[in-house]
Amino acid sequence: MKIIILGAGQVGLSMAEILSRENNDITLVDSNQTELSGLQDRLDIRTVHGSASYPEILEQAGMEDADLVLAVTDKDEVNMTACQIAWTLFKTPKKIARIRAQEYLTHPEIFCNEAVPVDVIISPEALVTEQVLRLIEYPGALQVVDFAGGKIQLVAVKAYSGSPMVNHRVRELREHLPDTDARVAAIYRKESAIIPTGDTVIESGDEVFFVAAHADIPKVMQELLSVSKPGRKIILAGAGNIGFRLAQTLEKYNYQTKLIELNKNRAQYVSERLENTVVLSGNVADEELLIQENIENTEVYCALTNDDEANILSAMLAKQLGANRVMSLVNRPAYVDLMQSSVLDVALSPRLATIGSLLAHVRRGDVVAVHSLRRGAAEAIEAIAHGDPENSRVVGKRIDQIDLPQGASIGAILRGNDVLIAHDNIVIEAKDHVIIFVVDKTHIPKIERLFQVAATFI
Amino acid sequence: MSDDIQHNATGFLSGFIARERIDVDVEVSSKKRLLEEVADLLTVHTDNLNRDTVFQILNERERLGSTGIGSGIAIPHGRIEGIEQPIICAMRLSESLNFDSIDDKPVVLVIGLLVPADADQTHLKILARLAGAFRDDEILATLKTCKDSSQLLDVLHGLQ
Repeated sequence: MKIIILGAGQVGLSMAEILSRENNDITLVDSNQTELSGLQDRLDIRTVHGSASYPEILEQAGMEDADLVLAVTDKDEVNMTACQIAWTLFKTPKKIARIRAQEYLTHPEIFCNEAVPVDVIISPEALVTEQVLRLIEYPGALQVVDFAGGKIQLVAVKAYSGSPMVNHRVRELREHLPDTDARVAAIYRKESAIIPTGDTVIESGDEVFFVAAHADIPKVMQELLSVSKPGRKIILAGAGNIGFRLAQTLEKYNYQTKLIELNKNRAQYVSERLENTVVLSGNVADEELLIQENIENTEVYCALTNDDEANILSAMLAKQLGANRVMSLVNRPAYVDLMQSSVLDVALSPRLATIGSLLAHVRRGDVVAVHSLRRGAAEAIEAIAHGDPENSRVVGKRIDQIDLPQGASIGAILRGNDVLIAHDNIVIEAKDHVIIFVVDKTHIPKIERLFQVAATFI
Repeated sequence: MSDDIQHNATGFLSGFIARERIDVDVEVSSKKRLLEEVADLLTVHTDNLNRDTVFQILNERERLGSTGIGSGIAIPHGRIEGIEQPIICAMRLSESLNFDSIDDKPVVLVIGLLVPADADQTHLKILARLAGAFRDDEILATLKTCKDSSQLLDVLHGLQ
């Protein structure tokens, strides 16, 4: 595919890197020459220096031939204008823009070909907010991702010594939970991936990824975690976009939320707009404040300021002071890698969340969702099967007959409204949503080919 | 070119391809531009078909898997509301173009096909028959070397 990426920031660069390795023709546009210099040699891409929304620059970048434009400059307005011009002058088939301002996002009706022609809006803040909400919903989860509109979820937990399934074979899950179906998609043991069979024994400390219907997730988690009743106390540090949004959403559920904000004016602003949240003005790194706010009885502490270092330190402090689970927003990729083995329970990366949701739109085949896992090394994909045995490599085949690449496994299927957990004898039908876990993302092209229909499919 | 192909106008495409939907020496620089040209040709002299909609339909189908059937041929196609009979166009490119075809060979001959949204078996068979006809090396060579669009049309009309 010919893809034009506007903006060589973190997300733009990461996407250029990933997509150029996957046999795409990439042009990266940025107004800052220094951001671009050297990239052309390091990555197999073309670069164009100039304002990302100017018609002349877009033409120079090859918009006439592009299948897709990805507008991820740091300005919403530039991203929207670029999409407008791509559509008006070049009829670009797919236009994806990152939009941050809530002020635009609350009016989805403006995003259509007749007004602001953006086909897909990516909002990192919204993605991170949803991610935290899902993690709060499932105490003990390291990662929770949605498929099939939330009907199917993939959850990662650290198997806890003494929990019912530790030191037991994967197949015994069925005996433990006769009325619940789930599939263990992958196990990470000391940082290496194991594709489990029924005979794989789950060990304490294993990072277990499993797939189940939404309603069954808590039951499966109980088999892998210690039995404790989770508390309802949550502390959010930082009342920026994400912190404020989260507090607003949490008010709809039965949580006791406190929101700490350094800036007095901002604290005042959000407190006027929140009803059941205690807003405190203070420093998130202040030990006294955390103790005073009863940190040791807090279920989730979530550091969400725009300062990575402050977030990491305050989350570590909160953990040390007794918070049950701590999460930190971490923007810098190097820190995300570092934090995974630290005392932090979850490092929230807006970059990784954004990349995952962007990938869904550039994959070949009818891919509806992609989640980037394990800091981008693994992926979980939801793809729709089309066609018939004549023109599809999956339709009409039993799961164990499908030629999946090494390290890939089918976790579940959504058929109509029914969730089917993958078992070898299930036969894939046209229109099935198939959820696949891929341990090694270099195999993604093979999965894409698997789900593509032959030329004669009509 | 053999006479029987040139003069036989009773093939399965008879009545589906109009002369104005044939073009040769088309210059395009990309798959996207090619699909735009196909959308243009398919919507020539039609009142009820929107060119942008057709372009979008062709793109969506292409996303599910390339319609490049190999040997330099692509048959971009799709289903569309508002037509009763299939609409077919054909174009030959001045230079071959990468189309993610099954054999990775660039395409030079492109047949565009629109079938009604609720297409019946006869309509659906056109695609399979086209793909079948292009397996014949002699026909392929003839199509690729036609000197103008009327000759191209004759050959297509003669396909059995």
